Amino acid sequence: MTAARATAPPVLQLDQVARRRAGREAVQGLSLTLAPGQVLGLLGVNGAGKSTTLAMIAGALRPDSGAIRLNGEDFLEQPELARHLIGWLPERAPVWPELTVAEHLDAHGRLRGLRGAGLCAAREATVARLELQPLLRRLAGTLSQGQRQRLGLACALLHRPALLVLDEPANALDPVQVDALRKLIREQAAAGTAVILSTHVLVEVTAVCDRVAILHEGRLCHEGPVHADDHAALERRFFEIAMQARAA
Amino acid sequence: MSRLLPMFRLELRRLRVQPLAWVLLALSLAWLGWCFTRLLGDFLASEIKRAALPDGPGYVDLVAVPLLGQLAQLAFLVVPLLAMSTLAGERRNGTLPLLFAAGVPASRIVLGKYLALLPWLLAWLALTLAMPLSLAHATTPDWGKLAAATLGVALMLATLAALTVAASAFTTHPAIAAVLGLLIGLALWTVNLGAQMAGLNDGVVNWLAMSTHEQDLLRGLVSSADILWFVLLIVVCLALATRRLAADKERG
Repeated sequence: MTAARATAPPVLQLDQVARRRAGREAVQGLSLTLAPGQVLGLLGVNGAGKSTTLAMIAGALRPDSGAIRLNGEDFLEQPELARHLIGWLPERAPVWPELTVAEHLDAHGRLRGLRGAGLCAAREATVARLELQPLLRRLAGTLSQGQRQRLGLACALLHRPALLVLDEPANALDPVQVDALRKLIREQAAAGTAVILSTHVLVEVTAVCDRVAILHEGRLCHEGPVHADDHAALERRFFEIAMQARAA
Repeated sequence: MSRLLPMFRLELRRLRVQPLAWVLLALSLAWLGWCFTRLLGDFLASEIKRAALPDGPGYVDLVAVPLLGQLAQLAFLVVPLLAMSTLAGERRNGTLPLLFAAGVPASRIVLGKYLALLPWLLAWLALTLAMPLSLAHATTPDWGKLAAATLGVALMLATLAALTVAASAFTTHPAIAAVLGLLIGLALWTVNLGAQMAGLNDGVVNWLAMSTHEQDLLRGLVSSADILWFVLLIVVCLALATRRLAADKERG
């Protein structure tokens, strides 16, 4: 990420965001910022609040308190901002099983405001980039989990969002696809898209992220830059947090 | 509108590729076709008797309206089966959050899905109506009565669809939505059964019953109060579904 981008106004600002879910505090007092072109890795053990955080950022879930700003505008007041600004790949990439891959792309494009030639161009570019051509006529219900992830990713990227929200994007992908995914994330970041991705695989973070945030029981326990050669330090910090919380 | 149209198209597409919608259409039309030939046979058999009654019932009274009545009866089963997946299916697939994340408000999701059901239901009604209309040139139909009966059935189909969409908003299981749609529809139809048996033809209970309003229209009596009853029920059902969906986003 360039220095100019790092000082650009943030695409995303979370201020003291909290959310209860299933009778417990899933996310508590979470504050984060993300600049254009930055890649933030959200780390945490299962149940740490990663998916809840991402669902709130994507606009699928409303926080109980706190503020979310997208490009400086109040996202909670204007949920329609999500339409153009955010691309979201939820965990397990849900699909409409009776629709084909091509129909999914069309439907997502239209929902995001693309029409006519713009939609065709965006679909072709996304299909080519994610190598979905052989799958276009397949029903989404017959795809493997890895293929569904790719379709979900294509739907998230179709409208060229300013913020890409990826929940466990490498789930069910083979090593070749994981490598392709990393390249794609770096490509998106280089083009100025801010990316926030959740994972519990540490190597994923050191491979593609500029910054890392570690969540535990809904709280932000660590936030800082990531250095590709610093995998061991990140691993140590992650286990410290997990163990401290367990001891407490 | 910009977010209603994509929602409408998406749901229309989903309905078009669902085998259940086609199976329901084929089976119900086969049944209605058989009913039509039976009604027509009875009509032709009674021709001599009716010739003696100059103001007696005609083709519309004896064939077209009873056929629409059969369609109305089938609708209690067919419409809930068709509409059961509208929102329950989205929740089951986990695709509802995708719609929220695309910035589609709950009202547009509900309205888009509801409106997508209407072309299918109107096509079903039109194909049924085509049967008696195919012989209309050989008779002298009472067009006013036929139009009123068609309007009544169209309103009833739209109301049952709205009821099932609302039921579908409250559950994850399409089958439960279908059962709820069927039961609420039947309850609304029969709510005044006791009052009718007691010989009461007025009052709130009779006003509440769908049968009161539908039967007036099937008899050829178009009143704005009857139309308003159907429209009110549709609006209430869609508002309930919207509220439930909006609460989903709040609750997660």
